[in-house]
Amino acid sequence: MTTFNKHQIADLLVLTVLLALVLGYCWDAYNASSQVINLILVLPLTGLVFILCAIEFINQWRKRDQQAPELEPFATIVPVVSLFAAYVVTLPWLGFDVGTCLFIALFLWCHGERRWRWLLGYSLCFASLMTWFFSQMLPYPLPMLILPTEY
Amino acid sequence: MIDVDALHSGLGLLFSSFTPWLIVIPGILIGLIFGAIPGLQISMAMAIFLPMTLYMDFMQAMLFLTAIFTGGSFGGSIPAILMNIPGTSSSIATAFDGYPMSRKGEHNIALGIALGSSCIAVIIGYSMLFFLIQPISSAVLTLGPAEMSAVVLWGVTLIASLSGAHLAKGIMSGLIGLLIGTVGYSEAGVARGTLGSAYLLDGIPAIPAMMGMFAASELFKLVNTQYLVADSSARKVSVRVIFASFKRAVTYPWVILRGSVIGIFVGAIPGVGSSVANLLSYIETKRKDKNPESFGKGNPAGVVASEAANSTSEAGSMATLLALGIPGGGATAVMLAAFAMHNITGGPQFIREQTDVVYAIIFANFGQAFLLIALGLVFIPLLANIVKVPMTYLIPSVLALAVFGAFGLTGNMAGPYTVMIFSLIGWLFKRFDYSVPAAVIGILLGNMAESNLIYTYQISGAQWSYLLERPVTIGIIVLLFVSLLGGRLVNALSQTVKK
Repeated sequence: MTTFNKHQIADLLVLTVLLALVLGYCWDAYNASSQVINLILVLPLTGLVFILCAIEFINQWRKRDQQAPELEPFATIVPVVSLFAAYVVTLPWLGFDVGTCLFIALFLWCHGERRWRWLLGYSLCFASLMTWFFSQMLPYPLPMLILPTEY
Repeated sequence: MIDVDALHSGLGLLFSSFTPWLIVIPGILIGLIFGAIPGLQISMAMAIFLPMTLYMDFMQAMLFLTAIFTGGSFGGSIPAILMNIPGTSSSIATAFDGYPMSRKGEHNIALGIALGSSCIAVIIGYSMLFFLIQPISSAVLTLGPAEMSAVVLWGVTLIASLSGAHLAKGIMSGLIGLLIGTVGYSEAGVARGTLGSAYLLDGIPAIPAMMGMFAASELFKLVNTQYLVADSSARKVSVRVIFASFKRAVTYPWVILRGSVIGIFVGAIPGVGSSVANLLSYIETKRKDKNPESFGKGNPAGVVASEAANSTSEAGSMATLLALGIPGGGATAVMLAAFAMHNITGGPQFIREQTDVVYAIIFANFGQAFLLIALGLVFIPLLANIVKVPMTYLIPSVLALAVFGAFGLTGNMAGPYTVMIFSLIGWLFKRFDYSVPAAVIGILLGNMAESNLIYTYQISGAQWSYLLERPVTIGIIVLLFVSLLGGRLVNALSQTVKK
């Protein structure tokens, strides 16, 4: 008996989630207003996505005997994604100055940088330079913890 | 028709004194820097420096702003080649082959060839503008919302057709992108897909989404890599190779010419032009090449095709601005503001009454192309050193830069959140063979596609027969199907004939 490999199962899962999100969006748009001008693009596109998903399900079924491609291990990506997500989510509290410095320093440390001068020096310099440059360039204040919010 | 008296007068405006040129060099440099830094847009640079033009006369103001435009148009290709982050939506196709070239250690060649093709294309584009400004503007006037909708769909389908064996996923990515582009307040005045978040009422910020999908997702993939270029001997930055590759651009005359023609005509279409022109040029070059499989893996012709089109699309958008007074995008909208600040209205009257100024602007761009060569050759070697930075340092730096840039684009945390979420989506898309470029083009153009469909629906009175009265729309739809299915049909037919 032939079975799907792990990659194909994940692929089918992504496909299902995408279809569910598209259908959910269409339903939300329909609930917001059923006027033609509200659904003129959303409804036909949802229909097309539905058809393409069906085609892709059939494609996957046909390819179920194939070997999974060699991809980078999921476990190596998770810490990076988590650190990046934590950086972005904490920016309103930590500010761009401290948040960026911490993000860079933690990333370097997690990836084997143990030279403290490099680790601290680079993260401090990069964060200070970027924060200063963008705060000078942008017409609105950057959230900060230590450096002045407006120049 | 060329007005010889106006031509003399225009040249006099430009060359009677050196003063107008003094602001061109800083203009190009500002454009290069803003184009090369992900998240800083050409339109942002022009808007920031717009108040300075109050102290200039109209001619100087236009020279300064077009210099930023020219520098920025090329500057966007630098992060596209070195980091897979298209600095602007018009540099998306540059990343397709430019970035693989960098990964192979051919970053010097990619940057040199991009500069060469950009400069040549700027000259070709403005030459065409010089002769064709009237016909181009007349052609643009014939385009209504039905044609605009068809062009958007064509753009998305074109890019989806690059997905090769994963065509269904490619088209699906484009369609999902279009749907994402419609999130927020609709023309009917209702909010859709906002999940109750005030950040999403204006829709999903398209450029931060693009940065997340292209750049951040790629960086996640490179976590276990030591350097962008694996071979240490290939990491050298060579001004000699950059210069030689700059000259090598002339060995692709047809690619440049085709890209220039596509760039100027498609680029003239307001709103859509620059995003679609580079893709169209890339796909046409790939289709006509003897070795189409090499595209996407580091074929220099792909870089040339994209750069030629995006550089001439600048001239195309200038045609629409000068002849019709319609801005084609953010950058030309700022120029329109400069027109207003100097009490000048673009359009047929402007061309008729101030032909000398129009000619002077066109000729100034020839000069800018030569200055761009000089400044580019100084500036590029400095930036190319990025390949020497270990990935451990490059990944967090570029991620942080994307977050800063995204905040700069939206003015609130919606930008950084968008980068974060779309970096994950982009990574998943890449892992499971969906088309990231198609999704990005969809996100960029979704709102416009919907608005134009609504206008078409309202103008036509919901009658399908209206489309039969629009031959250009039918032509574009036919092209859409040809680009999507043409290759497959030809293959199927040739196999049938062989049997």
